[in-house]
Amino acid sequence: MADSGLQAEVTAERPQTSRFWRNVRRNPLDLIPLLVLILLILMVVIGPFLYPHDPARANPLSTLDSLSSEHWLGTDELGRDVFARILSGGRVSLAVGLLSMLVGLSIGTVIGGLAGYFGGKLEAVLMRLVDMFMAIPSFFLILVIVTSFGNHPAVVIITVGLAFWAQMARVVHAEFRKFRKTEFVEASQALGGSHSRVMVRHIFPQVLPQAVVLASLGVGWAILTEAALSYLGLGIQPPLASWGNMLQNAQQYLFLKPILAVWPGIFIGVTVLMFNLLGNTLRDWLDPRN
Amino acid sequence: MLVYITQRLLQGVLVLFLISVFTFFLVNLAPGGPSSLIDFQSTGAQREARIKQYGLDKPVHTRYLSWLGSALRGDLGTSINQGLPVASLLSQRFLKTLQLAAAALLLATVFGIILGVLAALNRNGFIDQIVSVVTTLGMSIPNFWLGIIVILFFSVQMRLLPASGSYTIGAEFSLADRLRHLILPASVLAFSLMPNIVRVTRSALLEVKASDYVRTARAKGLVERAVLWKHTFKNALVPVIAMLGLITTVLFSGSVVIESVFGWAGLGRLAIEAANGRDYPVILGVTMLVGSIVVLVNITVDLLYALVDPRLRHG
Repeated sequence: MADSGLQAEVTAERPQTSRFWRNVRRNPLDLIPLLVLILLILMVVIGPFLYPHDPARANPLSTLDSLSSEHWLGTDELGRDVFARILSGGRVSLAVGLLSMLVGLSIGTVIGGLAGYFGGKLEAVLMRLVDMFMAIPSFFLILVIVTSFGNHPAVVIITVGLAFWAQMARVVHAEFRKFRKTEFVEASQALGGSHSRVMVRHIFPQVLPQAVVLASLGVGWAILTEAALSYLGLGIQPPLASWGNMLQNAQQYLFLKPILAVWPGIFIGVTVLMFNLLGNTLRDWLDPRN
Repeated sequence: MLVYITQRLLQGVLVLFLISVFTFFLVNLAPGGPSSLIDFQSTGAQREARIKQYGLDKPVHTRYLSWLGSALRGDLGTSINQGLPVASLLSQRFLKTLQLAAAALLLATVFGIILGVLAALNRNGFIDQIVSVVTTLGMSIPNFWLGIIVILFFSVQMRLLPASGSYTIGAEFSLADRLRHLILPASVLAFSLMPNIVRVTRSALLEVKASDYVRTARAKGLVERAVLWKHTFKNALVPVIAMLGLITTVLFSGSVVIESVFGWAGLGRLAIEAANGRDYPVILGVTMLVGSIVVLVNITVDLLYALVDPRLRHG
């Protein structure tokens, strides 16, 4: 008997990890997006130290070179190494994607949570704010902010996050509203738990899975948005490379060197695809009906 | 019902007011100033004159009120860089975007619904998986990159379709020429819009198929085709219509990028020119116009809903 009691204690302690491994065993292919993303991140973080070319160094003697063992993906119109630019551009694109999602996630969770938990006038005011942000198509909002505050990378990160937070706030708001009147919340309040304690310790963990799924899909969206913005010349500025602004010049060389337009697109596409697949997998795993 | 309509309209007006305050103050309190003020060739007197002309010497809330006053009468100010009234710039460019958006919406809806229905009818089957691959790709491939690739293939390699503009310059007006210019940008825009429609159609159809009234229809002996057409599709369309507000925002955002790739002189291009040239009245006007359209679409959808749903009508 003592034996089985111990067993129960151990499983009760790690329900999340055991569920994770059960899911992995059932469908090991689900791990692929996660592995590819880890690989990509390692590549852009460590790659620049191993690959011997400076992404910003122009070389007028070897412009628009084809693939070679010296320049793995050839060189661009200024003779800069394309693979080196993919690596350092990837750092920028991934960092902007992840950080801006963190901005959107934080603002959205705080505002959605406050509105859903307290209700009343606060809810009415905050949700009109959400309506306002939902009514401006994200790209126009971004253009307004970038016009006003320039395109420093930090501005780009905050801006892309601002274009996303309303969506997150809506989801979090609905969840907090749902839990506001549940018994475990009332119990915790009756026991003297402060509002912030109830919100952070009791309701937030219930909302987290949904927020994580939305955030994972959101990172993909943020990377696409940054790329489009930089492609239009309004995001990350050269000589700093990003996958988006690499495509800006490539379009002018479509006739001469079409392959230049292919590489950044493939890296953006694969990265976003993996974040989307990861989001779908997480949604399936966290779905209580499963 | 009347109460509901008034409430909804008032809410819409409030949201538009918030957008105007937010945009105006953001744009006006930002560091720097309109680009023509940073013109190095102008003398101090000319600069003063410009500041007077645009009323920049007054405090920002006075400027907002006077802007709002004329905006309500249809005057959105004058473009700083082009010297034209913002309202006439907007109406010119809006027509172009409308053509592109309508074509893309038509393509995306037709193909989106067809694919969504096929996927739902073959749930978890081969077709369902193919459709899921196509929609995931549509969500992941940057639309401007897809634009570059189709230009590369259809215009540069095959020389089949024009790569930019909305008509052949210098040629006489012909519908065929306009359509040929429309095909590539509209298809690319539609491809990034389609995943949303496919997903909603698929899940709505699956939900309706599992519902009680469809089971009843089947139980009373209706043939499968009648069940599908009369009871399933009609009800599955509702969530797709409910998504129109979201679709409008996606269309506008997408048009900014696609119009740049294909040199299409619409609202999106105008917004980018204004952003690059720090043309504040224009960027303000564009944002207000686009925001108003989204708000209007949302209100219309809600009213349609109320008309269809008797619980809201009598409630």
